[in-house]
Amino acid sequence: MKKVKTIGWLLVCCSLLLAPGLGGAQEKFPTKPIELVVPFAAGGSTDVLARLVAKFAPKYFDKPLVVINKPGGGGVTGTEGVVRSAPNGHILYVGYGSGHDLVMPHFQKLPYKTFEDLSSVCLLSVHSVVIIIRADAPYKTMKEMIEWGKKKEQVTASVSTKAGSVDITFQAVGKTTGLKMVTVPFRGGAESVTAIVGGQTDCGGNHPSEVISHIKAKRLIPIAVALEQRDPAIPDVPTFKELGYNVVTAGSVKGVAAPKGTPPEAIRYLAERFKKVCEDQEFIQAMKDIGQPVMYKGPVDFAKYLQDGYEQYGKLIKEFNVKLE
Amino acid sequence: MSDLLGMFQGLMNGFGIAFTLNNLMFALLGAFLGTIVGILPGLGPAATISLLLPLSFKIGSPVTSIIMMAGIFYGAMYGGSTTSILVNIPGEAASVVTCIDGYQMALKGRAGPALGISAIGSFIAGTLGVIGLTFVAPPLAEFALKFGPPEYFSLTILGLLMASLLGGTSILKGLIMIVLGLLLGSVGLDPISGAIRFTWGFFMLQEGVDFVTLAMGLFGIGEILYNLEKELKTELVTKKISHLWPTLKDWAESKWAIVRGSFIGFFIGILPGGGAVISSLVSYAVEKKISKHPEEFGKGAIQGVAGPESANNSAASASFIPLLTLGIPGNAAIAMIFAALLIQGVQPGPFLITERPDVFWGVVASMYIGNAMLLILNLPLVGMWVQLLRVPYAILAPIIVLFCCIGVYSVRNTVFDIWIMGIFGVFGYLLRKLDFEPGPMILAFVLGPILERSLRQALLISAGSPWIFFKRPISGTMMGFLLLFILFQIVMTLRKKWSKGSS
Repeated sequence: MKKVKTIGWLLVCCSLLLAPGLGGAQEKFPTKPIELVVPFAAGGSTDVLARLVAKFAPKYFDKPLVVINKPGGGGVTGTEGVVRSAPNGHILYVGYGSGHDLVMPHFQKLPYKTFEDLSSVCLLSVHSVVIIIRADAPYKTMKEMIEWGKKKEQVTASVSTKAGSVDITFQAVGKTTGLKMVTVPFRGGAESVTAIVGGQTDCGGNHPSEVISHIKAKRLIPIAVALEQRDPAIPDVPTFKELGYNVVTAGSVKGVAAPKGTPPEAIRYLAERFKKVCEDQEFIQAMKDIGQPVMYKGPVDFAKYLQDGYEQYGKLIKEFNVKLE
Repeated sequence: MSDLLGMFQGLMNGFGIAFTLNNLMFALLGAFLGTIVGILPGLGPAATISLLLPLSFKIGSPVTSIIMMAGIFYGAMYGGSTTSILVNIPGEAASVVTCIDGYQMALKGRAGPALGISAIGSFIAGTLGVIGLTFVAPPLAEFALKFGPPEYFSLTILGLLMASLLGGTSILKGLIMIVLGLLLGSVGLDPISGAIRFTWGFFMLQEGVDFVTLAMGLFGIGEILYNLEKELKTELVTKKISHLWPTLKDWAESKWAIVRGSFIGFFIGILPGGGAVISSLVSYAVEKKISKHPEEFGKGAIQGVAGPESANNSAASASFIPLLTLGIPGNAAIAMIFAALLIQGVQPGPFLITERPDVFWGVVASMYIGNAMLLILNLPLVGMWVQLLRVPYAILAPIIVLFCCIGVYSVRNTVFDIWIMGIFGVFGYLLRKLDFEPGPMILAFVLGPILERSLRQALLISAGSPWIFFKRPISGTMMGFLLLFILFQIVMTLRKKWSKGSS
C-alpha cells in the first residue's frame, strides 16, 4: 500500500501544478495564474519561447504565467481548446501566426475561424526562413547553388513539413530561379536539420533558432533569408530580394491570442505587460542567443500583420499551385 | 594520447562537480522521480521533465537542473520494465519486448528474478553506455549523421523482420498483426504529401494514434478485460513466488545477454528516432537465435528479459550523444532537456564541451553516480513489487485502469485519447480471445511510420531509383544481411520440409 500512497501524493502534486488556482469573482484582472497554451510539443521553438516569457514574467505580471503543452493536429487541437475556453484572459494561446493559422486554412477547413474566433494580444517574435547548405558543399552562395543545380536532374531540400512556410519558400525558389526543387519533408525542424547536417539533401530551410548553433560551428552556411528585411538573428545573411530573386514570405509568426470576447481591459493589461517583458534587456539577449529575435507589436498592429501574412501565403500557394494530395 | 588525457581530466573535473552535496541530492531526486514515473504507466519522462521545467530555473545552475532531468530520463528506463513484467503493460515502446518473457516469468512466480535481472542488467548497460558516452561520443555522433533515409529504411525493415519472429505459435498470425500495426501507423497526416488519412474527421487523429494510448489499451485494458472473464481469484499469480532474487543459474544464463544487449543498445540507440525500440528487438532476436533452447522464448526465458532491458538502457545513455555533441535531440524526453538547456542559456552542440565543460562533464559524471544510485534504489523495491502481486485482483485491476487513464490523459491533456484507449482495450481483449499476440502489432505500429517516411524520402532524394538502398555502404550492408537472412530461413524451411517428406 506504500506504493499507492506515494503515487497518491505524486498525483496530488501534479494536479496542483496543472490546475489553475480557484480565483475570487470580482477582483482585478488577473485573479489567478495565467495559462500559456502552446499547441505544440514541449521542446520546440514555440515552447522555448513561451517558457522564456514565463521565466521573465514574474517581474512584470501580478500572477505567474504557466506554460501548458497541448500538441496535436499540427497545432489545431490546442488552439481550438483556447478558442473554446472561457474568455477571461487567463487562458492564452502562444504561437498565434504559426503554420496552422496562416498556411493550413488555405488547404483545409479548421474547426474554428482563425481570425474571428481569436483576439490578438501582441506579437512576440517572427521566425524567418533561412536557406542553409553544408559547409563542404561545392557551392557557397545562392548564385553558385543555382548554377550548380541547373546542371543537375534535381536539387533536394529538406523541409520540416509539407506545405509549411519552409516548403512554400522552396516552391517559390524553384519557380523564380528555374531550378527543379524537390522538397523532402521530415518530421519537424530538428529532423530536417539533422538531415542537412548529415548531407542527406543538397540544401535545407529552417528557422534560425533551429540552425544557429550549426552556423556558429561552421557546419552549415546560411545563404539567403526569405523575409522582406534581413533577420536580426542572422544579420549578415542577405535576403532573396537583395540577391535579385523575388522570394518573400511572412516567415513563422509567433504572437499571443486570447479567445474572442475577452474583456478589453484584460487584453490591454496583457499587451502592456508583455511589452515590458519584450523590453527587458536580459530577455532580449536570451532570445537573441536562441535565434528568436524579439519583435513586439500591440493588438491592433499585430492583427493587421497577421492578416497580411495570411493573404501573402494565400497568394504564394495559388501562384505556385501548392497542393496536398 | 593528449586527447585521452584531456578526457580523463574533464571527467575528473566532472566528478568534482557531480560530487557536491547539492548535485548529489538532485541526482538522487531525479533518479527517484524517474523510477516512479517509469513505473506509472503512461506518465513518461518527457511529461515529468516538462512539469518540472519551471521549477528547474529556481534550482540555480544549469548543471544541477540538467543532472536532475537526466536522472529522470534514465531512471524512467529502469522503472519501465516493472509494469511490463508485473502486469504486462509496456510503459514505452522499448519495453514491449520485455513483456513477452517478463510477464511469463511473473506468471510462473518468477517476478523477483525478472525484476532483479532487469535492474542489474540496466545498471551494467547504463554504465557501459556512459563509458561509451565518455570516450567515443564525437566519432560516433559523426557516424549517426551518416544515417539518412535509405539507412533508416533498411534498419527498419530489419526491425520488422525481427518483430515477425515474435509472433509465437503461428507465423501467419504474426504477419496479420504486423499488417494491422502498419495500417494503424498510417493514421494521420501523410508524412510526405500532408494529405489527411483515416482520421474520420477528428483533428486529434491528424498526428495519428499515440503510442501510450495504444499500449495502455491493447495491453493494460485488454488484459484486464480478459482476466475479468476468469473466475475471480484472490491473486493474479496463484503459484507461489519461488525466489525473490535471481539465482546464480539465472545470472549465468543472462550475463552475456546483458553484455550483448548493452552493445547493441549503445550502437543502435545513438540513432535519433526509433533507435531504442529497434535495439530491444534486435537484442531479443539475437538472444533467441543463439540460445540453445529457443523454444523457451515466449515462455519465460530470462535472457529474453535481460537482453532487451539492457539494450534499452544503454540506448538511453547513447541518446545523449547526438544531443551533447551535435545539438540534435533524438526523442521527446531529450528534446525537453534540450529546451531546458536553451532556456538556461546553454547551447547544446559541438561547442558545449569547450564552452561549457562544466555542463558536459558534470552531467556525464553524474550519470555514473546516478546509475549506481538507481541500482541501490531499485533492488530493495523488487521485494515490494513482488508483494504487490499479492494484492487481490479486484483491487489491483481498478487501480491499473485508473493509472492507465491518468497516463493516457497526461500525454496530450485530452479526454479523447481515453476513449481511444477504451476502443483498443476491447480490441486487445478480442486479440487475446482469438490467441493473437499484440506485441508485433504495436511494434509495427511504431516502426511503420518510420518505414514509410524513410522509403519515400529516400526515393525523393534518388529521383525514384531504388538503387539508393544498395549503393550506399551502410544501407547496402544491412540490405545484404537482410537478404542472406531471408535466404537462410527459406533454405532451412525447405530442408525441414524435404527431410520430413523423405522420412
